[in-house]
Amino acid sequence: MSEPSIFFFEVNERQGVFHRRAFLMGGLAGGGLLALGGRLAQLQLVEARRYQKLSAGNQFNYRLMPPPRGLILDRNGVALASNRPNFRLMVTKESKDFDVEATLDDLALLVPIDGTRRARLIKDIARAPRKAPVAVMEDMTWEEFSRVNIRAPELPGVTADMGEVRVYPFGGAFAHVIGYVAKVSDRDLEKAKSDPTQDQDLLHHPGFRIGKQGVEKALDRELRGRPGATKAEVDAQGRVVRLDPEGDIPPTPGKEVRLTLDADIQNRALEVMGDESGAIVVMDIRNGDLLAMVSAPSFDANRFVKGLSGPEYKALAEYERKPLLDKALSGNFPPGSTFKPTVGLAALTAGIDPEVRVNCGGSWYYGGRTWRCWEKGGHGSQNMHEAIKNSCDIYFYQTSLKIGPDAIATAARAMGFGETFDIGIPGQKKGLVPDRAWKKRANKKNPANQIWFPGETPSYGIGQGALSVNALQLAVMTARLANSKKALNPRLIKSVGGVEQPSGAAVPDLPFSQEHLTYVRGGMEAVANDVRGTAYRQSQLGLGDVKMAGKTGTAQVRSYDKVANRKSTSVAWRLKDHNLFVAFAPYDDPRYAVAVIIEHGGLGGATAGAPRAREVMRVALLKDPEVRARIERPMPMPEEPVETTPDGSVEGAAPDEPIVGAPPPSPAPATPTVPAPSVPGAPR
Amino acid sequence: MTLSGGLSRPGERDRPIIKFMEIDWTLCLVLCLIAGTGALMLFSIAGGSWEPWADKHLLRFGVYFVMMIILAMVDLRVWFSLAYPIYGVGLLLLVAVALVGDSSLGAQRWLVLGPVRFQPSEVMKIGVVLALARYYHGLSADSARLSWKLLIPAVLIGMPVLLVAHQPDLGTAMLIALPGLAVMVLAGLSLRLIIVGMVGALAALPPFIFFVLHDYQRNRILTFMDPEKDPSGDGYHIMQSKIALGSGGLMGKGFGLGSQSQLNFLPEKQTDFIFATLAEEFGFIGCFSVLFLYGVAIFMALRIASISHSHFGRLSAAGVTATFALYVLINGAMVMGMAPVVGVPMPMLSYGGTVMLTVMVGFGLVQAVRVHRYTEVTSGKGSLM
Repeated sequence: MSEPSIFFFEVNERQGVFHRRAFLMGGLAGGGLLALGGRLAQLQLVEARRYQKLSAGNQFNYRLMPPPRGLILDRNGVALASNRPNFRLMVTKESKDFDVEATLDDLALLVPIDGTRRARLIKDIARAPRKAPVAVMEDMTWEEFSRVNIRAPELPGVTADMGEVRVYPFGGAFAHVIGYVAKVSDRDLEKAKSDPTQDQDLLHHPGFRIGKQGVEKALDRELRGRPGATKAEVDAQGRVVRLDPEGDIPPTPGKEVRLTLDADIQNRALEVMGDESGAIVVMDIRNGDLLAMVSAPSFDANRFVKGLSGPEYKALAEYERKPLLDKALSGNFPPGSTFKPTVGLAALTAGIDPEVRVNCGGSWYYGGRTWRCWEKGGHGSQNMHEAIKNSCDIYFYQTSLKIGPDAIATAARAMGFGETFDIGIPGQKKGLVPDRAWKKRANKKNPANQIWFPGETPSYGIGQGALSVNALQLAVMTARLANSKKALNPRLIKSVGGVEQPSGAAVPDLPFSQEHLTYVRGGMEAVANDVRGTAYRQSQLGLGDVKMAGKTGTAQVRSYDKVANRKSTSVAWRLKDHNLFVAFAPYDDPRYAVAVIIEHGGLGGATAGAPRAREVMRVALLKDPEVRARIERPMPMPEEPVETTPDGSVEGAAPDEPIVGAPPPSPAPATPTVPAPSVPGAPR
Repeated sequence: MTLSGGLSRPGERDRPIIKFMEIDWTLCLVLCLIAGTGALMLFSIAGGSWEPWADKHLLRFGVYFVMMIILAMVDLRVWFSLAYPIYGVGLLLLVAVALVGDSSLGAQRWLVLGPVRFQPSEVMKIGVVLALARYYHGLSADSARLSWKLLIPAVLIGMPVLLVAHQPDLGTAMLIALPGLAVMVLAGLSLRLIIVGMVGALAALPPFIFFVLHDYQRNRILTFMDPEKDPSGDGYHIMQSKIALGSGGLMGKGFGLGSQSQLNFLPEKQTDFIFATLAEEFGFIGCFSVLFLYGVAIFMALRIASISHSHFGRLSAAGVTATFALYVLINGAMVMGMAPVVGVPMPMLSYGGTVMLTVMVGFGLVQAVRVHRYTEVTSGKGSLM
């Protein structure tokens, strides 16, 4: 026996070996089974939680539900940006063997998908990350939607749902202020990648739109809200087996944003702009609320939500009058004569006696050249009041020389020029208020130009030269001037999510004396209400004793030395003067300030600017219940009705200007309805 | 055992009724329980339906069960005399497959004879064990330990293994080679040789994996080493199987509620990975019970082998038991992520006729060994000593 037999004492050696080894084999098999049992215990008892999580991850699928975007309302609650339902068809790569071609073939039987669209979809789906849905079709009809929905359970990765899409009911009227939302671009994604506060899944959702301009951009995160999710049970092929509504996480809607704008005033402002290019800003003088901020021409923001086609965008971008540019905030123009009240204030503050007269002979020789007044024949002897009323250039040439550029700049800055205001939206350009320090800074490389030449001051005095301002600054200037002593900051965002934003009235007083402000305002009253004022005819509101005060302005865009006739109508549009007008009303109790810039509107603020300012002002005044009550209160008049002249015009209105009479007097100031005054005739 | 009184009479044990009663009915019950559990799982996987798997599974088991009873009554001497012919036929069929076989799923495994398609490699799982048992029956203990005569069993194992591996079907080749080697060890192979052989096999493994295996076979092994490397490719099966197992927990998700199998995340859920379905729906308790049943079956079969009076009976029963145990261990290890994915089903539990047939024929042989445990098997050539 070669191996000693321990357990068995049998004669058969082979049997003995077999028994020992069979015992061993049994032990091996038993050990193997125990090892399996141990492994089972490890997986099912120790690591069970982890695998249960993985199993649930397999079984359940959370589909992102984008939140409804917050509404944007005007000051009275009129929706300026809201959401409308959108039936949408989406495709998701749920599993690795998702067949794009076959799915699109199936879908093409249900909804129209043409060749180019198909090619683009294949590219989009290939590029999209796994599990991120790609929109195949938006704005399906109800029939298409139900057709797809019936078939969707058989088509892996296909979902049809009702999403929401942004809509701007007023189209272009608020396009520059509110901006628009559009598809998330690759650049947005790149920027958001490193931002942990951004919800990447939401950004990739085909129904999600990101704010691109204006309020939509500035308050994007507030308007966005938080996404929810629908819980669905899916199989390995990604088909939804069952929905589990109890597991849904509802989305949190975005915050509601209320603006200070008034839809009626804003709409009227865009309307009166007609084909012209420019901007109108209306401001509430008492608190700085912006009631209208229009840039014209405008564009339909709804087009951007869907995605603009190449030619469409090109047409907008290349149009000479630049509809995409926000001229109210970023269009900088020389203020021209609208700057004269500010220069007047600077002069009064510097100690100039307003009654000291300057003789205007139409031209004035200074510094080796002849300075002309816009009135060729001259205004004769002028004090400051008359100089503002007549917009006499000679007076302001000489007065500005007396006080120097730094005094003018100080006053201009106090009035709001040369700065941007925190109105909550980006895109303001602060323009330029020149002074000696600026001259030095701006010409670092050219020491010879660093000194302020006396010859630059007269241009400055009439709002020309290096000075540039925007429409918002002009409105702020007018409001500050009209508001006696209180400085004002403009406010655009009234409330976000119900939280009132700080008012624009909480700023320090103006560094001007009450007396001086009243004096300059008097000059502006005369512009509009003195029959010889530069804008008398165009400034008649026709609202009884509610009167407007204003100031005209013309800004040259080129030197006229070599041009024979400045007033020529045959001049190309882009060579015409800019036409400006600022106004406030009622002049005895200032409430509203208006600034109008008509780009290349032609000579004389009264021609293009003033009639438009008047029309907008009328809407603002008629919407104010107190002003309206004042207009409509019974006049202390004789028993018989007042005699009207045979041609039908009312006293105080120029016969050649279209005017609309005040609404019929009624004792109760009912809901302010806006009459539709006719658009003023095309300016010369 | 219980009928010892009357059974000592000569010829008494050859009566069919006595043979029938000598069958190990406890083992039969264990097999029925395992197959029944299989049917239950197949019913669940089909979404609570007898079709398409559970009904066929039970029908097959019934037919094979009857066949097993009949085979159990076949005299061990008949098995003995048929051992070499069965092996010979099996080998010829394997050669035929290599020459004219039908390749399905990339491997040449099937032989088509008219309407019948079958895998000759399955025949060899029993054939090799029978032939080896028959050979060792006539071999002395010394020769079985270490002698030139061991070249013959080596060739007996080597030929079919090489033919099957060539198909290529590594899983089946392994299931032919390992039980064959087990028979050699049980017959008394020198311990020194066993150790040398094991060391040699381990040393040969890496070059074998990298130079002999096909790409897909190599990938399976590499994936097994690091399943997370490619969770959507080759690692997918292993990962999903582990998720199914682990998520079952102690008590399981409940009958018919296994999300991994019901929602198709589990691959081959009705065949190779049915154990994962069981684990998911019945948890640790269910799995452990089934493993226990397998353990009982293996233990009982080994006990039958060791009470046989003939060396042929001992070795053949033990060899078949080794085959069965290897099925269970390899499939279990694969499902639990402890072994690479090889096409080895869980016997009696998995859906599929071929393996069930092989296993039931094997248990028929084991039962025959039990029924004929006192039968003297004499070979023409060798002596008993």
